[in-house]
Amino acid sequence: MRFRFCGDLDCPDWVLAEMSTLARMSSVKMKLLCVQVIKDLLDEGIDYDKVSKLTSDAKFESGDIKASIAVLSFILSSAAKHDVDSDSLSSELQQLGLPKEHTTGLCKSYEDKHSALQEKLREISLRLGRLEAVNWRVDYTLSSSELKQVNEPTVQLKLQAQDPETDSTQTTVVTITADKFRVLLTVNR
Amino acid sequence: MLLVLSEEHKEHLGFLSEVDPAVVGEFGRIAVEFLKKGSNPKIYEGAARKLNVSSESVQHGVEGLMYLLTESSKLMISEVDFQDSVLVLGFSEELNQLLLQLYLENRKEIRQILGKLAPSLPHYHNLEWRLDVQLASRALRHQVKPTVTLKLHLEDGAKRSARVLQTDPATLQHLIHELERALAELKSSHCRRILRNIK
Repeated sequence: MRFRFCGDLDCPDWVLAEMSTLARMSSVKMKLLCVQVIKDLLDEGIDYDKVSKLTSDAKFESGDIKASIAVLSFILSSAAKHDVDSDSLSSELQQLGLPKEHTTGLCKSYEDKHSALQEKLREISLRLGRLEAVNWRVDYTLSSSELKQVNEPTVQLKLQAQDPETDSTQTTVVTITADKFRVLLTVNR
Repeated sequence: MLLVLSEEHKEHLGFLSEVDPAVVGEFGRIAVEFLKKGSNPKIYEGAARKLNVSSESVQHGVEGLMYLLTESSKLMISEVDFQDSVLVLGFSEELNQLLLQLYLENRKEIRQILGKLAPSLPHYHNLEWRLDVQLASRALRHQVKPTVTLKLHLEDGAKRSARVLQTDPATLQHLIHELERALAELKSSHCRRILRNIK
């Protein structure tokens, strides 16, 4: 069975198994749990006390709480990743066995935060070596130990970039003569 | 298999026969806590003051218990062997039973802790990937060159490191094919025979 929200692949077995766990909660509590999970996905922090209060009615053990958070995170992030609209998501979840009220609640939360989720996923996509800052300075050399009258402008560039492997900031300082700098600018226009 | 205790060890544990069994129970609990989280010397002084003995004897007693527990868990000795090994110390029957209970309850967890102490290579933590297509460069315009960039996050104890790798889709396919062959090797008859014999 191919599901669009799983990227046109089979649904993982564990997701199928946890549908019955989700159905044990009332649909109102599940919608509130969805809101918490979306906050966690958007890096706004998840309030575990609220989560345990929501799940205490259904008498979830710690394993069940972890499983329900995991399955909701998977469904929401996977649906955002594959850009699934909320109607298709709703029909696919009902095919998997999630009751209708739960599905409507989940899809409503998904629809509200759809673009915010995609923005966040775009932000955390792999990027290597981000350029963080560029500082420049133009110097004019009057004379040197080699030549009495030099009269040459030079550009000093300080580039601060993120090292792709260690995620720490690396600083590179380069000095460029005026001609080379002009070449650099015209070629990259 | 019997546990052989050195003379020094027996001397340290000898201190335990001089105190109440309740105190020995307390020492046992402290020993297990220390095994899980690391030792805290202040507790020795507090206990020494309450029992009116030197803090050194308390320390030896607790460390002796810790060593007894780790050695027994390491070798996974049976109840009978544990009781016989402890008999050598000449403790009362009640004390022997207490020590046996302590061993049986905490054996599994101590084995888990000991398992993590073995030397290990950095292992997989996370893999991020990205599919790019190079359309042009300074030297050549109108290209179509797909590449897959991978960032492999590794974890070695507490240290995290990351390696950046780049490959074209054909090499990636070959890599996947080779890894699937490695997994399939597990199902070959040779491997199955060995696994059966280990179990």
